[in-house]
Order: sequence, then structure tokens, then C-alpha cells
Amino acid sequence: MTTITAGTAARAKPSRLKQIDSLWGYLFIAAPLLGFLIFAAGPLIASIILSFFKWDLLTDPKWVGLDNWTKIVGFQLQPEAYAAALAQDKPWLNALSVYFKPNDPIVWKAMGNTAFLLLGIPISLGLAVFLASLMNQPMPGKQAFRVIYYLPTVLPLAALALLWLWVLNPDYGLFNNTLRSFGVPAELTRLNWWQNRALVKPAFIIMGIWRGVGYQALVYLAALQGVPRQLYEAAEIDGANAWHKFRSVTWPLLSPTTFFLLITALIGGFQIFVEPAIMTNGGPANESITMVMLIWKKAFRDFAMGYASAQAWLLGVIIMSITIINFLLARRWVFTETD
Amino acid sequence: MTTTSDQHNTLPGLGARRLRQIGVILALLILMVGAITQLAPLLYMVSTSLKDQKGIFELPIRWIPNPIKWENYQQVWTKIELWRGFVNSLFIAITTTVGEVLVSAAAGYAFARMKFPGRNFFFGLLLTTLMIPGVVTMIPSFILFRTLKWIDTYYPLIVPLLFGTAFATFLCRQYFVSLPVELEDAAKVDGANPLQTFWYIFLPLAGPVLATLGGLGFIARWNDYLGPLIYISSQKKYTVPLMLAQLNGLYERRWDLLMAGSVIAIIPIVIILLVMQKYFVESVATTGLKG
Repeated sequence: MTTITAGTAARAKPSRLKQIDSLWGYLFIAAPLLGFLIFAAGPLIASIILSFFKWDLLTDPKWVGLDNWTKIVGFQLQPEAYAAALAQDKPWLNALSVYFKPNDPIVWKAMGNTAFLLLGIPISLGLAVFLASLMNQPMPGKQAFRVIYYLPTVLPLAALALLWLWVLNPDYGLFNNTLRSFGVPAELTRLNWWQNRALVKPAFIIMGIWRGVGYQALVYLAALQGVPRQLYEAAEIDGANAWHKFRSVTWPLLSPTTFFLLITALIGGFQIFVEPAIMTNGGPANESITMVMLIWKKAFRDFAMGYASAQAWLLGVIIMSITIINFLLARRWVFTETD
Repeated sequence: MTTTSDQHNTLPGLGARRLRQIGVILALLILMVGAITQLAPLLYMVSTSLKDQKGIFELPIRWIPNPIKWENYQQVWTKIELWRGFVNSLFIAITTTVGEVLVSAAAGYAFARMKFPGRNFFFGLLLTTLMIPGVVTMIPSFILFRTLKWIDTYYPLIVPLLFGTAFATFLCRQYFVSLPVELEDAAKVDGANPLQTFWYIFLPLAGPVLATLGGLGFIARWNDYLGPLIYISSQKKYTVPLMLAQLNGLYERRWDLLMAGSVIAIIPIVIILLVMQKYFVESVATTGLKG
């Protein structure tokens, strides 16, 4: 791309006509560029500056240096307390939680919860590849399958949140009643997923897979349809079985798709908000509070704008680093046709 | 696995074909189980929305309610005034979508077909927006709009999108790049200026990509919860998702009403999906990939 512009610029002498053409060009791109400055670049810089202030919107902002940051990522190690706990015959794992004392435990909790919820991504992608492979053959009702699988992805999350509260209702919900009708033991069919400290995150993962897998399957299906048939035929001549064909033809050719889906799922997953905000309010006992929920609460409930900005930046840096690392790693495993 | 494929290689054509048929049937069965899993909660939503208060808690689950209580919808729509949220959401979604698509298409066209210094630099700059997570810009944006006295108005939800988005600009550029060069030549002969060339020649050709972007944009705005949650405080200005979340607190255990509200919320999206499935389900799959 760069070479083309450079070439034309070198060839043509700057003329009035060219200048007018350039002006038209700038006019066409002016709005998105202004939007970029006002709603992306500007706030990006503003939020890092804000993160060094204490500001409740009512009184004047107060410079606090790195205080917000040390509160977020800072922690203390308490070897004495740890030793004391061990001396009281506490299991070493419990004692360890005394040893490590974060300055603001809720941040670590929210980070941990958010990371936990990301575990749904590989499951979802695996399932999506499987469904797409099944759909990638001539069969009746294919278009209907596509629409049905795609549907949950585009529906308003607020409505799906209410629906899933109801679906996983311990006594009357669809989920537990379906389990009962399949003869699953009673103690497993009375679980209150949204109120249970151990189950609330898995419940969000299940809901997330239900909502996202169809879209991912369709993206995979589109990619599968681009895989040249000759490659499979060649593999068959070499005596490859179905698994071999998948391993050495399908999966490598799908790697750009996997990469794209992984990146988007990670970026979205790190910013999950609506479900816990509507369904559990982060509970029970903060087991489902996520980073964005925490940031939202800090900013718009406690009006700690500086502290919330620092948290937002921390999350932003994590997301951007993981995206960049993924792009760097992609060279190793993502197959590109042109190279 | 190995044995079947060995047979597959050695058996005559008829055997291979039968194997293939069994494979298709098996795939269909699995896909049908999947489709039921995807659909069942949604049917459950519709079914619950038509039950009376006794019917909700009736076991085993009765899929076709008896009696069918259409009044639930009436109650949610008029008494709880979900119609208000519906109109508000519709207004926001339509204005933002039209603005976003037109402005982004113009910019995408310029990046694809016009020559000016710094074109690639500006395009790259714009694309970096895609890397910035929304959460980072959320708080300063709020402060900006607060300074403008735009809190509890729709401006913070609408105005930023009228500047176009990086994603839509990117998709439009990819599309316009793929069109043949002769198009400009024809326009030049006719003496059209760039705006006319864009409006009369290129924009009409961009139907599929505009439809896809329009659909995606509408869905994103209709579904948005965090934006209205931050900026809207008056009850009368609530959008559908805000109202649903509020109902959840007010009408605990009234699953009939909550589900009726949810059904109303998903209807526009279902209509869009059904009308646009041709563009959509197929092109959505490729949107992210061509880059």
C-alpha cells in the first residue's frame, strides 16, 4: 500500500487539481479522525492523567502521585503472620492467604473472577469447530441451522440475563427440570447456580458458551468453505484418516479464524459487565464481580474517578498486552497463504 | 477411526456413499440436539411470557400455556410503559446507525479510492482505535459529556457515532478497494466531483456491506446497556435494556412479566435477523476475516 502512494506522489507534479483532490480526501475522512481524537485518543490520555489524581467530581481534583496505583497493584508480605498461622497447625494453603496481603483485595478478586470466566473461551472455540465441521457438508435445513445457532449472539444481553436467571432457577427453571427428567440425582437438580459461591462463575461460562458458540461456528463454517477440496483429496491419496485430515489440513487452514475469534473473545471477555451487573450484582460474596463492574462501581457509585481510571488503565494495559502478545505468537502458529 | 477410513479407501463406491450418508445423518442428529439447546431457552422465554402466575410455577413444565395469557404483554407494554423504552431505543438505534454507516462509508471510500498525502498514516491511526478497550475511555468520556451538560440526554449515546467508527470505516474501505478502477474513469468523463462520484456511483454499489453494517450497528445500539446506564437517569428516557434491568428488581418472581418484556426486547432483533439473513448470516461470518 505504501509503495503505491509513494510511487504516484513521485510521478505526478503537485498541481492545483491534485491539491483540490487532497482537500476532498481530507474532508471525507475528517469526521472519523476528529472522532478518533475526541472519543478515543483524548480520553485515553485523559484517563492516565486522571489516574494520578483523587477526584470526586464535586471538589477540585487533588494530585496524589502514584497512590492509586500502589493501592491497586500493591501488596504486603507478612511472614510473621504466615509463621504464626503455620504454628497454629493451619493448612499451608490457608496460611499462604495470610502471607500475601493485597492493599485492595477486591481488585485481585475481580481480576481472578474475570480470568476464571475466560476459561469458557477454549471450550467454546472447540465446540464451534466441531459444529462447523458437521455443518460443512451438503445437508437439508442448513440455512435454518445457521439462523438458529446465530440467534443468541445478537439478542439483547439484558433480556438474555433475565432469561437465564429464570432458566437456572433452582426449583422451576428449565435447566434443573430437564436434568430431573433425565433422571439426574435429586441433589444435583436443586442447585441454585446464581446464589452458589462455587457455581456462579461456571453458570456464567455456560451462559456465555450458549450465547457465543453459534456465531463462532458460523465464522468457522465460512472459513471451512474456503478450504480447497483438492487438499483433502491429496491427503486421502496419502491414506490420511479423518483425524489426520483435520490435524494437518483443516486446523492449520483455520488458524487465522481461530486467531481472530480468540482475540475478539478475549477482548470481550475481559470487559464482561452486563451479565453480572444485572444478574448477580457481583455476588454472592463478590464471587462474580468482574473488573469492569468494579470500575463502574468505583466511578459511578463511589465517584472515585481517579482510582477508577487507574483500574481502567490497568485493565486496558492487560487487554492490549495480551492482544499484542497474541499477535507476536501468531507468527508461530497462524498459517498465512501469502507467505 | 482408522479402520473406517481404510474401508473407505478399499470399499467400492457404493459402500463409501453409504458411509457418507450415515455420516450426514449422524451430523444432522448432533446438530439438531445443538439447535434444540440453542432454541429451548428462547422458547421457554416465550412460553413463560404467556402463562398466568400459577402456570409459571407448575411442574412439569407445560410448554403450551393453558390458559394463554396475552394480557401479560399488555401489562408490560402499557402499564409498565415498556413502549416508552421501545420508542427511545428505536430512536437512538436508528439515528446512530444511519449516521455511523454514512459517515464511515464516506471515509472508507476516501481511504480506498482517493489519493492524498498521509492517507495510509491516517488509516493506520484510525485503526488503532480498534485496539483501545472501551473501558479505558469510559470515565474521561463521562467527564467530557458532564462538562458539556449532556448527562441525562441522548447526546452522549448518539453524537460519538455520528463521527463514524473505525470498524465500519475499515469494512467499507475493504469493500471499495475491491471495486474495478473503471468506475472512477466513467465518473471523471462525466465531470462529477468526488462527492457526486461517491454518492451516485460507489454508495449504491455498496449495498451488501452497508446492509451488514447497518444491521450490526442497529443491534449493537439496541442491545447497549452500559452506555444508557451511565448517562441516562430519568425514568422517561430509559431504553429497553435499562427498563428490563429495573423490572428485574421491581417484579421479583413475576417471571411472566419479565419474560414478556424480554420477548418484546428481542422482537426487533429477530425481525432484522430474519429479513437480513441472506446478507447477514453469510457476510457476518466473513466480516472479521477479510483484513
